[in-house]
Amino acid sequence: MPKITIDGKTLEVAKGTSVLEAAQLLGVYIPRYCYHPKLSVSGNCRMCLVEVEKAPKLLTACSTEAADGMVVRTDSDKVKTARRDVLEFLLINHPLDCPICDQAGECGLQDYYMDYSRAKSRFAAEDKVRRQKRRVLGPHLVLDNERCILCTRCVRFCSEVTKTSELDVMERADHSYIDLKEGRSLDNNYTLNIADICPVGAWTSRDFRFKSRVWFLKKAPVACLGCATGCLAEAHHNENVIYRLLPRPNAETNTWLCDRGRMTYKAVQAGDRLAKGVIKNGLIDLEPALREAATRIDEAKAAVGVLGSPWLSVEDNAALALLAAGMKTANFCFDFKFETGIADGILVNKDPSPNAAGAARVKAVRGGLELQAFAAKVASGEIKTVLAEARAAGLIKDALKTSGARLITFATNKGDIPAGAYATLPYASYFETAGTFVNYQGFERRLEPVVAAPEGVKPFWAVVNKLGAYSGVLLRLDSADDAMRGLEKK
Amino acid sequence: MDNILLKDKVCDLPGYFAAGGYKPLKKALGLKPADIIEEVKKSGLRGRGGAGFPTGLKWSFIPKDAKGPRYLVCNADEGEPGTFKDRELILKNPHALIEGMAIAAYAIGAETGYIYIRGEFAAEGALLEREIFSARAKGFIGANILGSGFNFELHVHRGAGAYICGEETALLDSLEGFKGQPRLKPPFPAVKGLFASPTVINNVETLAAVPAIIAGGGEWYAAIGTPKSTGTKLFCVSGPVNKPGVYELPLGVTFRDLLEQSCGGLKEGKRLKAVIPGGSSTPVLTAEEAWAVKLDYEALATAGSMLGSGGVIVIDEGQCMVKLLQVLARFYHHESCGQCTPCREGCGWIEKILNRLECGRGTRKDIDTLVSIAEGMTGRTICPLADAMAMPVISFVKKFRAEFEAHAAGKYCPPDAPVKR
Repeated sequence: MPKITIDGKTLEVAKGTSVLEAAQLLGVYIPRYCYHPKLSVSGNCRMCLVEVEKAPKLLTACSTEAADGMVVRTDSDKVKTARRDVLEFLLINHPLDCPICDQAGECGLQDYYMDYSRAKSRFAAEDKVRRQKRRVLGPHLVLDNERCILCTRCVRFCSEVTKTSELDVMERADHSYIDLKEGRSLDNNYTLNIADICPVGAWTSRDFRFKSRVWFLKKAPVACLGCATGCLAEAHHNENVIYRLLPRPNAETNTWLCDRGRMTYKAVQAGDRLAKGVIKNGLIDLEPALREAATRIDEAKAAVGVLGSPWLSVEDNAALALLAAGMKTANFCFDFKFETGIADGILVNKDPSPNAAGAARVKAVRGGLELQAFAAKVASGEIKTVLAEARAAGLIKDALKTSGARLITFATNKGDIPAGAYATLPYASYFETAGTFVNYQGFERRLEPVVAAPEGVKPFWAVVNKLGAYSGVLLRLDSADDAMRGLEKK
Repeated sequence: MDNILLKDKVCDLPGYFAAGGYKPLKKALGLKPADIIEEVKKSGLRGRGGAGFPTGLKWSFIPKDAKGPRYLVCNADEGEPGTFKDRELILKNPHALIEGMAIAAYAIGAETGYIYIRGEFAAEGALLEREIFSARAKGFIGANILGSGFNFELHVHRGAGAYICGEETALLDSLEGFKGQPRLKPPFPAVKGLFASPTVINNVETLAAVPAIIAGGGEWYAAIGTPKSTGTKLFCVSGPVNKPGVYELPLGVTFRDLLEQSCGGLKEGKRLKAVIPGGSSTPVLTAEEAWAVKLDYEALATAGSMLGSGGVIVIDEGQCMVKLLQVLARFYHHESCGQCTPCREGCGWIEKILNRLECGRGTRKDIDTLVSIAEGMTGRTICPLADAMAMPVISFVKKFRAEFEAHAAGKYCPPDAPVKR
């Protein structure tokens, strides 16, 4: 194993480790633009030049392999001058867009200028190189070629991660620019990662553009509930509004975040967000809606069926299990056996629901029907009233249609309500309330509220608690954790 | 002494064969590859493309135990301004190159060779195709060459007009069908070159010298020229001389001999001002330096310049150095591949400043800025194109600063006229 000395600190590293990575292990930060840990080494930005003893020239730390006995300096005058020079070169043709640029505040050029340069511009008399600006490329991205520093991270991302190779560097010299290859469009499911890895403001998200200054944003750890992969993510929010979801890279599940997953936060703030109950198609207040639903449940008596949901947290499924037990019905189901595994080779799961594994935990304790059997009972008319979360109800929609069973459902958004639902009760989304999800690998994601729910909208377990109370089943739930009683052995 | 590379007459296959051509190939095929490499090492032959790297040593870098194919590539992408020797060599003596490649391929164990020829050299490319066809018909190229069991197929590939593709790894990218951009080294081509296989890339002139070395022996070749710069070199002389053209002379010849004996001296009434000795990328020499210099790798390095490709650009007193540098800057700005930051941004910046200086709108401060930009580019990029821009800038300003200052002071020369004095 090679032993390398960087700025006087020595470390033994694995063979094949680059000087840049070795420095990182030693806590020495080497500035870089084109280098990205998950992409191939390109070595074009020249920002990571370091002095290596016995080497006649400065070497790029990203592409130089640590060798035994290698002595590296990252803080010599030679290195400092090189960094200043490279920054000057990058900045001469860079537009002074900062006041209107979304990247401002998290921009590699701004940061490194403050850290390594602070030089005055010597490029006053010349015309800057002009390039195209504000080019809408694909459903999620805008490209500003003038801001681009041609680090080619985006090009490499598309060829190495998504393997779709939509992008390339066109032309040559300082008139070169990033563009789509002829006849292509940038519509793979991972394009927003390009905006993330772009070290400058060249690629920006159409969704996030001009919405907020990044320094106002607070960051909350969340997980994406777009599918069973359950990628770790970060919600950026301010004053009760979520602005964007970014990946929280981790070794187990994800480095990136897919476009569809990133957009899941939109439902929380969407125009069809339910703040009231729905009876048939009419909106009414929550209390009368609950009372109406409870009446129908009482009517059906033992012919009530309770369906859990892989879109609900473990706690909320447990609350449903407690409700079913209180109603003394044997017709309940927490069984969702989807095929799991990565469907597209990157992140998207074959299982579109985020918590089939969590629902299975409830099933393991409480038992219950298999989904097929539950659906069969609905179809045969044995179950006359079904209590189900909206998307889970979608799983048995054929059976519901066959028998015309009454559906009482829970939804966050109007768009989720299945056709023919009799009553719908609103609940708070998982950006607004706590809950535990289990991804396809078995990793638990404990979610905490990021923003407040719309006025009057309660967490799912609280809605269940109240519905129980109105139909004579006292669950006495005061928190999501209370519902976990449902997972205790009877 | 007789020319080794450039014969007086155009050599087609019968003529080349009659003069003893392809005998070295037969001799080489009877030797062990390692012995050929040894002979080339002994000859002291160095790369004629510009860098001057010892050829035999380069060949020996091919890993002995490498599995899979190996390639031999001839760099005929002659694009260095002031250089036109490879073209002449291909036109006059194509079989020296073809035979040299067959021998080199045998020495390094390559069964496929490519001649990457500059896109503009359409006629030369066609000529090579034709001559390779003739050589194949005679069994000098192709399967089982001269009954030895050695196979070597040779292809001609025309470039698409980028100077950068003369850089060996950009050339490989281009040959593979990609946009030509220099690759990060290591890995070096000898380990991972064309199609990720071990590859040797040599200049036309280098490969064309190989048959003579095999025929005459390494020691014979090493006796020509100086102890460290052995053999003959093609010098391409351009500028206001009586007989511009390509001349083959032993290395170590004085510039004075080249100019006065071979080229018939400067045109009447012209006085020497400066010389770019090795193609436009090499630092300029003043007249005084040039008159004293010998043309070989070491002597030119001592004089602060380089032998480079042997493109000797003669500059007379009537020329404006600022204008000349502006022309060079326009070229390098246009030809930078755009990959590395210092080169991509620096070349354009230099050109802009020179444009301003040249038409009298520059300042003295601009002159210092020019030098500092050039210094910021030197040795900081993947390939030497940035250095190729920086070296002329630094040397022009250092040696002809007065002209730059005259421009900055407003005593500029109108377009296409010499500077006022």
